[in-house]
Amino acid sequence: MNKIFTFLFLMTFIADFDSKSSQFIANQGQVSFFSYTPVENIEAKNNQVLSLLDISNSEIAISMLMRAFVFKKALMYEHFNESYIESDIHPKANFDGKIIDFDPSLKEPQTRIVKGTLTIHGISKEMDIKATIESKNDAYMISGDFDVVVKDFDIKIPPILASNIAKTINVMFKFEYKPYEE
Amino acid sequence: MKNNILFSCILGILLSSISLNAQSLLDKLEKEFPKTKQYEIATFKTTRIAIGHSIETRNKGALEISMFNRYWNIPNFDGQRFLADKVSTRFALEYALTDRFTFGGGYTNFDKIKDGFFKYRLIRQVSNSKKAPVSVTLFQGISHRNEEEGLAPYPGAETVGNYAFTTQVLIARKFNPKFSAQISPTYIGRNAAVASNDPSNQFAIGFSGRHKIGGHASIVSEYYYVANPVKSIDTYNAFVVGVNWELSHLMLQFHVTNARNFVEDTFITRTTNNFNFEDGNFHFGFNATFVLHTKKKKLN
Repeated sequence: MNKIFTFLFLMTFIADFDSKSSQFIANQGQVSFFSYTPVENIEAKNNQVLSLLDISNSEIAISMLMRAFVFKKALMYEHFNESYIESDIHPKANFDGKIIDFDPSLKEPQTRIVKGTLTIHGISKEMDIKATIESKNDAYMISGDFDVVVKDFDIKIPPILASNIAKTINVMFKFEYKPYEE
Repeated sequence: MKNNILFSCILGILLSSISLNAQSLLDKLEKEFPKTKQYEIATFKTTRIAIGHSIETRNKGALEISMFNRYWNIPNFDGQRFLADKVSTRFALEYALTDRFTFGGGYTNFDKIKDGFFKYRLIRQVSNSKKAPVSVTLFQGISHRNEEEGLAPYPGAETVGNYAFTTQVLIARKFNPKFSAQISPTYIGRNAAVASNDPSNQFAIGFSGRHKIGGHASIVSEYYYVANPVKSIDTYNAFVVGVNWELSHLMLQFHVTNARNFVEDTFITRTTNNFNFEDGNFHFGFNATFVLHTKKKKLN
């Protein structure tokens, strides 16, 4: 009987180890966005984006606090959070998806499509995002950029300010992963 | 029996590890967010709710350039002036030395009052926490009026007597993303040279609220109750209702009120009109404030 216990006990640890080795976390991922218009350029950066990467099934998840975006001007920060993104109600933006044809063992950089759901302002949208994945000493780095259409996420811009904010916002991202321990 | 307990223990561990593994990556990330204090932003959008100061100050390096206007009609006036018979304008500048400390000054062309003030954000409300349920800002103002203009409230007083000091403790809470309220206990002190038997120290309390009606507009209202009004003239408590509208760097405020003056000590304690729509009592206010960022944050 005791042998069964030890066996079960060992099993739980092995199962735990298994999950650990395949998952990677990025604690200080960088996401920045740009809006270029003739009236004004708006630029913001978030250095505290979290991301988990599971190489066993190529799954990737990204989560960020909208309040963590830093703007050049304090008023832009206030307007972004208060009037557009409404971070009181929707504090986070998330991405949940899969890297298509991802090969974790490949040493050279690989460009892959990430298929998933992007949630901003409480609205979810299917997205295909091109990303470059590099692997270095059992750690990974993912970077890339894509465009977001403001209208898709039900972000209201009053007509009088329409010329200040671009219709599509360019988003850049960069994540450096290290092995994940719970 | 012992074995049974052990068995269930191990089963529990096994189950928990399975459930952990089955968790989605997003759920796991949820727990990874560091627990940092988050201060409420934009309890009010403007440094003035309508006629009185709000707890808000601008962030470091912001310069506010503002023009406050008040329009009203003269009762039984024979002339034909455009729009309104009278207009009073206050020009003002405010500069934020730090995120918490702001100072400023202004000049009103109708009652010829020069004013200066500073504001300090003592406590900032923390979101979803019981530690700091309210924001508190200290306000200290000083104003001076010229006696020679004939508009001084204390005729015959020496020039030195024409200073007034306003101290306010502004306490506000953002109850939800739409609704914020403020209570402003106020002390107003004047120099000794005060007409007849008027009190030289006055106490008042202000009640203010704002309700957002969209991403960029809100309805605001304020009421100031004076505990010991002056005796030499009939005064009324100041009341205002208005709309605040923000356009990028420009804040526009529209309101209707019975208060004619702009500086705290005058409109709180020396509003001589009751609130109604008769000529002379009805005042329309229009404030325009432009925010200039003299310092820009560096990204990275």
